[in-house]
Amino acid sequence: MNNSDKRYDFKAVRNINIIYWIMLVVMGIFMIRLFYVQVIKYDFYKKSALSDQLQQSKIPATRGLIEAHQGNQIIPVVLNQQLFTLYADPSLVKNPQSASEKLVSIMGGSYDDILAKLKTPKTRYVVLAKKISQDQSDKIISLKIPGLGTVGQDYRVYPQQELASQILGFVNNDGQGTYGIEQALNDELAGTPGYLKAITDINGVPLAASKDNIEIAPTDGKNLVLTLDIAIQKQLEDIIKNAAVQEKSPLVSAVVMDVNSGAVKAMANYPTYNPSNYFDVTNPGVFNNAAISNAIEPGSIMKTLTAAAALDQNVIQDNTTYNDPAHWIIDGFNITNIEEDGGAGVKSVEDVLNLSLNTGATWMLMQMGGGEVNQKARQAWYGYMTNHFKLGSSTGIEQGYDSPGIVPKPNIPNQSGDQQDLNYANTSFGQGLTVTAVQMASALSSIVNGGKYYRPYLTDGVIDAQGNVAYNKPKLIDSNVVSSKTSNSMVSLLQQVVTKHYQSGFSYLNFPSNYVVGGKTGTAQIANPKGGYLENEYNGTYLGFVGGDKPQYAIAIFVTTPTVNGYAGSYAAQPIFGSIVHMLINESFVSPKGS
Amino acid sequence: MRKKNKNMTYSSSIAVNRQNYSRKNQNAVSFRSREKVLGPVSNTIILVVLACLLGLLYLTQVTKTNSYGSKAYSLQQQQSKLQNQYNDLEVASAQLQSLNNVQNSPVSKNLVPSTPSTTINN
Repeated sequence: MNNSDKRYDFKAVRNINIIYWIMLVVMGIFMIRLFYVQVIKYDFYKKSALSDQLQQSKIPATRGLIEAHQGNQIIPVVLNQQLFTLYADPSLVKNPQSASEKLVSIMGGSYDDILAKLKTPKTRYVVLAKKISQDQSDKIISLKIPGLGTVGQDYRVYPQQELASQILGFVNNDGQGTYGIEQALNDELAGTPGYLKAITDINGVPLAASKDNIEIAPTDGKNLVLTLDIAIQKQLEDIIKNAAVQEKSPLVSAVVMDVNSGAVKAMANYPTYNPSNYFDVTNPGVFNNAAISNAIEPGSIMKTLTAAAALDQNVIQDNTTYNDPAHWIIDGFNITNIEEDGGAGVKSVEDVLNLSLNTGATWMLMQMGGGEVNQKARQAWYGYMTNHFKLGSSTGIEQGYDSPGIVPKPNIPNQSGDQQDLNYANTSFGQGLTVTAVQMASALSSIVNGGKYYRPYLTDGVIDAQGNVAYNKPKLIDSNVVSSKTSNSMVSLLQQVVTKHYQSGFSYLNFPSNYVVGGKTGTAQIANPKGGYLENEYNGTYLGFVGGDKPQYAIAIFVTTPTVNGYAGSYAAQPIFGSIVHMLINESFVSPKGS
Repeated sequence: MRKKNKNMTYSSSIAVNRQNYSRKNQNAVSFRSREKVLGPVSNTIILVVLACLLGLLYLTQVTKTNSYGSKAYSLQQQQSKLQNQYNDLEVASAQLQSLNNVQNSPVSKNLVPSTPSTTINN
């Protein structure tokens, strides 16, 4: 090897060494940078990457449907439907005129309105339409107009429109059940939302290979079957609507309850509303199911309960007569009857109910105290009102705002003797206490069914995913409300009241003889917020039953301040009772005797 | 004696190796091993290629799995759409059978009201 070759080798080795060192330095820089990025700034870059790739969201649970009976069928009364909201970012819509034309051709509406919205200045978000169908949404998306988008949302749909709206309630914009069964059973209906956490691709599609993906499926809400029979419900609503219009009443409520289970077959109030358009309602009072939330002084229908309590205590018999003085002085106040009742004389228990004698009801209360209204009488009557007939406490029915009503205590501390006897005498004929229509229907049911108090209920059962119905059993709260003897006596007495009323000229009470129909009217004074009672304003009430061999349905009717010629109970509430009973009989909702 | 280069490079290591076989009076050919052994370069290349193949295999599998995910997602979307269509039909059916609709139907309007033939008064 010559010198030039040696020099060449030396140079080559030196160059290689230089490149080697440069590469080493570059690699070192890379490693330091990688260490900085991957170790020191780990959290920052992880967060940054995940913000683009990680999708975390709740998977909404499907809200349970609500169904009801129609004869032997079960049909939906509340369904879910996904509808879409069309929105736009006006700053991205290049040709608003063309876009408006295309949108109108797909979903209708006003071209000018849409164009105006698309030209809205200084905003990046305008809603162009709500509740458009999936088909319309798909067509709009396929137009690929920049700046337009749709977002789906589940809505509650009410195919029967206003039917049973106050029983159903509605779901507000926050997804919360409001009023009615939607509120009372919100947890069961709402279900439990699921959870999705996934690394996604650029289109938002979860990558199946990611080990960090979490997907918890939602638990859908339960489907409910109501006890309502929508055929009865529909006709009840029509009847009370006509009555409210004719009688110029601002509020009419009615309940039809199965006396042998507490199942509510129909419950209606007028005025009402369409839950699909709850946001258009100007008077939020119509959201209330007044039959369970509106506690009023019931008036003389209370005498039904007073008579049952006195009979059950054996202090009177159904054939007992007494000398009615036509007025009693209690705590210095005069308790009298209406003029048509015929004045003083010998009266029977049947007369007390038929003529609706306030003095008679007070006499029954007196018998509970051994002949006078005293503490014993008050205690005994209070016990029957609260423990037997369950007044003064919420019924537990599956509704929002279930009012307990007010029953005065038999002994007010530090007010011993201060008009307590008068207050209690008033309660015996339905003044000085408040009750709801459903409370009265439940109490009457327990009186005429042999003495069993069932908790009133609206949910007949729950439907599973396969469509099987698990029916709820009626809940027996008390099996000794009154004796069967008292029950039989009351059925007979109330039947007599209807017969006598028919004979006295209320011709619409002409029911076929193979049905058992009984009832009692009530005309209640209305408490004046300033004290005392209002002049010339009354509520009309009715409490009755209909059945075949034995009572099948209890019916309670409250008519607020009707404008009628005559007593509100007889001329406003009683005709409604007559119409309901005829409807139930004529359409075979009641089984006749011997069937 | 030539000072040994502390920084041994690949080429210098080859050169030193060659020097061992080219001493005086030694026949380099007779000392060459008959066994064919892969050198460090080949080994490195093979390892790199194998690593690349494994990486490729991994990527193929991940892509395949993700494509299934995409398919599953697409099917879920389709199922959701069909469910919505089903719900729409159910709503339409319920609305058509609603009492108001039946009451206002031409068939219903042509019905004649009837009263029970045998009514016995109380």
